[in-house]
Amino acid sequence: MTSISKIRFCAVASILSCLFLSAASGGQPKVLDPVDGALPALGASYPRKVEVAWNRFYDHAGLGSILARLHEAFPDLTELYSIGKSTEGRDLWCLEVTARRVGDPARKPGMYIDGNIHGNEVQAGEVVAYTAWYLCHQYGRLDRVTALLDNYVFYLMPMVNPDGRDRWLRDSNGAMSSRGGSSPVDNDRDGVADEDDYEDLNGDGCITQMRIKDPQGRWKRHPDYPEYLMVRAKPDEAGEYTLLGWEGIDNDGDGRVNEDGKGGYDMNRNYPYDWQPKYIQYGAQDYPLSQPETRAVADFVLAHPNIAAAQCYHNFGGLILRGPGRQGGEMKNADERLLEIIGQRGERILPFYRSIITWKDLYTTWGDEDSWLYGGRGILAYTNEMWTPRNLYKGSQPPSDEDEAEFIKQVLLGDGFVPWKPYHHPTYGPIEIGGEKKEWGRTPPSFLLEEELHRNMAFTLYHASTLPLLRISDVNVAPLGGRLFQVWVTVENQRMMPTRTAQDVDHQISPPDVISIQGEGVKVISGGRITDRFFKRVEAVECRPERVELETISGMEAARVQFILQGGGRFTVTVDSARGGLLHQDVSLP
Amino acid sequence: MDFGSYRREALSVLMALLSVGAARTRATEYYSSKSMSQQLAGLAQKDPNLVRVRELAESRGKRKVWLVEVGVGSDENRNTRPAVLVVAGIEGNDLVGPFTAVSWVEWLMRQYQEDPPTAELLKATTIYVVPCLNPDASERFFAHPQIEMGGNHVPRDDDHDGLVDEDPGEDLNGDGLITMMRVEDPEGEYVLDPNEGRLLLKADPLKGQKGAWKLLPEGIDNDHDKRWNEDGPGGPNFNRNFPHDYQYFAAEAGPHPVSEAETRALADFVGAHPNIGIVLTYGAADNLRKTPKAAKSPGRVKPMEALDEKDAGYYEMFGKLYRKAIGLGKEMECLSEPGTFGDWMYFQRGRLSLAARPWDVALARAISEPKQEKGKSPAGEDKKEDASFDPNAVKADKKSPKSQGKRDEEERKQLKWFDEHAPEAFVSWQAIEHPDFPGRRVEVGGYRPFALTNPPAGMLADVAAQQADFLTDLARKLPRIGISKIECHLLADSVYEIQIHVVNTGFLPTALSHGETTQEVYPTRVVLELEPECFLSGAKTTFLPTLAGSGGTAKARYTIHAANRREVRFQVVSMLAGRAEGTIELLKAAQNK
Repeated sequence: MTSISKIRFCAVASILSCLFLSAASGGQPKVLDPVDGALPALGASYPRKVEVAWNRFYDHAGLGSILARLHEAFPDLTELYSIGKSTEGRDLWCLEVTARRVGDPARKPGMYIDGNIHGNEVQAGEVVAYTAWYLCHQYGRLDRVTALLDNYVFYLMPMVNPDGRDRWLRDSNGAMSSRGGSSPVDNDRDGVADEDDYEDLNGDGCITQMRIKDPQGRWKRHPDYPEYLMVRAKPDEAGEYTLLGWEGIDNDGDGRVNEDGKGGYDMNRNYPYDWQPKYIQYGAQDYPLSQPETRAVADFVLAHPNIAAAQCYHNFGGLILRGPGRQGGEMKNADERLLEIIGQRGERILPFYRSIITWKDLYTTWGDEDSWLYGGRGILAYTNEMWTPRNLYKGSQPPSDEDEAEFIKQVLLGDGFVPWKPYHHPTYGPIEIGGEKKEWGRTPPSFLLEEELHRNMAFTLYHASTLPLLRISDVNVAPLGGRLFQVWVTVENQRMMPTRTAQDVDHQISPPDVISIQGEGVKVISGGRITDRFFKRVEAVECRPERVELETISGMEAARVQFILQGGGRFTVTVDSARGGLLHQDVSLP
Repeated sequence: MDFGSYRREALSVLMALLSVGAARTRATEYYSSKSMSQQLAGLAQKDPNLVRVRELAESRGKRKVWLVEVGVGSDENRNTRPAVLVVAGIEGNDLVGPFTAVSWVEWLMRQYQEDPPTAELLKATTIYVVPCLNPDASERFFAHPQIEMGGNHVPRDDDHDGLVDEDPGEDLNGDGLITMMRVEDPEGEYVLDPNEGRLLLKADPLKGQKGAWKLLPEGIDNDHDKRWNEDGPGGPNFNRNFPHDYQYFAAEAGPHPVSEAETRALADFVGAHPNIGIVLTYGAADNLRKTPKAAKSPGRVKPMEALDEKDAGYYEMFGKLYRKAIGLGKEMECLSEPGTFGDWMYFQRGRLSLAARPWDVALARAISEPKQEKGKSPAGEDKKEDASFDPNAVKADKKSPKSQGKRDEEERKQLKWFDEHAPEAFVSWQAIEHPDFPGRRVEVGGYRPFALTNPPAGMLADVAAQQADFLTDLARKLPRIGISKIECHLLADSVYEIQIHVVNTGFLPTALSHGETTQEVYPTRVVLELEPECFLSGAKTTFLPTLAGSGGTAKARYTIHAANRREVRFQVVSMLAGRAEGTIELLKAAQNK
């Protein structure tokens, strides 16, 4: 359109609007719901029955209500329940998402996803809620999502530590505080628990840093970013400040500041596999699963033998972590190969993320959740550390302190930092308080948050799409004369993950997969595994011939069993796999 | 629930018992869940100022797990005094432990009235007793048929076939007992013992022996998997369910450490009672018949596998004390087990933790051995060689062919002992028709359930009395904090120099070496009731180094500026050694100047 014609068009449009539309518009656009005429961008598309803005962090009630609204809007896809209570009595909400009218939800292979076991790692809650929201809205719209919910069941637990989450969101905090749970711990061993926590001294809603002007101090302001950055003075240079640590006072008069804050343990060191006590592993608590939250998660997983894969969300670092958590910890080769393959796909889905092994590439952890899920339950599990500062400038190298200060200054226009302000401290006297806000560093800014949620979810949905998917692909009946029949049953696993991982098989964690035959008019004379289908090698079972146990049904492969039947009429083939599902097929003998 | 509601129910039975002298009437019987509840209710009622009984947990089978507390004074006093914890009935097949534990409480109650030193001890000590942690398991002694199994009533798929509790034992010969059965079978791995036809020996191919018998638990193969009674009812053995050296996936260990309501209740109890300095657990594991292994502590980098060598001397001393109390002249082999409560209390909680199997035939025989053997050793006790042999200690010896012969001999001696002392313990083999073995020779017999780990009822009282002596000795060995001296000098106007000397008058140190390593035993602290700004040197709270036992001392030093004060009160707080209070007399110091 030329500029002249554009002007003409506008003129006509404005005349028309004056003629036909309400006079009250007065030359301004109408206040409508802008969504009505919007063209949805690709990704998490319209229409949405439940509108959620994914550029913020919701508290326990907020995330809970998102789940409740999803459940209300999608009753055929969801169940909402609490799996237990936190230390302070908050519900541990779980939204179960699956096509409830397709198959038995309890017998579909399950994907367990949780987040926010560390209270301050808040986007780990949003990503689980986002996954629920996305799956519900895309069911029936995208074939791949439809298949996921038809074939599998998702157990979505956004907040394992809702106490820590609410405390972090509502109270004054730093980026790293409020990580643990709410059970009191006597960190300074003086007989009183939790008596010397941080304080928001200047009442600005943030726990930031304290510094004091000090001619003998060894710190100074950064020459280029004096308002944001403190740097060490050079060895031969006078400094101007001493740093005094996090904002607070000596509440208990013991000469130390903030040495016994709320809690003092780490629930992600409280899981029962490869657990070690506090003196070896900080935060382990007195015994595994001592906390109501971790206990509820473990009881839930134990009560759902169909859970075949799992994902735990944390922040931060841009990591896709897999076990073992300690050197020499158990990891079977076949399982490691699968975890590596899925993790490598994750590195493509999640730019700047690295798929690594916890003890080897990060640090040693005893008693963490994914080590238990894998080691103790044989479930393939990852821990994602969401958000990496590499995303600030979309570069493969981590940004320098100066780069980050630059981002705060020029991209966030100063948001993310509390300017230093004077304060009179009861012990230190005149000091200054200021520094990074709790949202800076470990959580993405609003305009990058939605991307983090979607890409992490996409990785986890890829993981879910590898869950075992069984099909009785063939039941071949060959008459042997008289009333005798040779029946070959072929059961195919159409996905990459085996029904039982190598860890599961090695420790007999799940029951074996069982292929069996029932029929009123038939007697099973012999049953066995077919070890070579071409040379017809069969390894007959010693007893109970109607029931052939299999260690596993490998990914993308098929298991074959033989039954020799006597009789006539109909019979049913049943495949019963705790993590692969329950299948039946009726067959008539010729 | 409080004991009160149960008490009403039990009251009528109780009154009947009390009128005939409750404590002794049941002396020669093992406790059922019900009779123990009644007995404990009676004790609590008899002396409510000394004995308190409360419910620690409810078992999966809806039985009460009781906690008995012996001590006087307020809750706060009892919770901060040096304490001993005795846990029994944790192993599942242990009946003598529960009996012993209850007897000890009864004994303490009598001594409190009759023996002034014991009364003084109890006024300064708290005794915690969990007489039976696994009432579901011990109740099987009273069940029909009687069956010995270690777990509680939690269902479990023992044989990993996807079916739960589908193949329990059956009483095939109708004698009310689940014993063993031997089946004549050319594929069997046993032969009849030529010297003792009631015993079966493992066939030794090196001697050209061919097996002729199968040895199976009594029952039928309910699920037709050619295994007998491999998946009966029942969950984990509680004494394999604790986190130190926990054997993940082991048959009796449970789905994960501290998985059961009962074990969790016990773990929470010891967490809430940090004053417990000595623990004794009755069960299969034993570290008193023989001093356990020790090694240099690896520090805080990896789990320990043996006692910290700095603590070993205490274990050695308690072992001697124990062997003397029960009349055992020398060390003898004993078992350790993975995942025990006792090991958790030492290796992860840093407490002195002793463990004893109060009775088995090997111990009974070793105690009653002729005295002349003792004469060989001039010291008369604690010869280091393993003069006796415990057939339960299979772990150490199972690989050596030589030990097989020794074990066979021990089995014969064991049976002989029963023949002499309690012939009913071995049920003679009796031929039956077995549906799984038509036309084959099948015999049912063997030891009665519980017979190998619990003495004949007539011997209970003696065992309990010996153990009671030892248990009371434990309470005498606790660390005890005291203030030995308070020094206060006026340096100048209102400025004082102060030294508070603290002493440990008990036997044990205020923390074992491993108590320090685990950081679970907090350091002793001195806390002055004085504002922080008054300190010119020192601080309101001073942490002391560990005080050695038998008179070890430490001191806290201060320089204070305290105008217009006559005195300063202070408290010495030890986690395991109790508390003490004192007063610094400022005015007196000023006058003495």
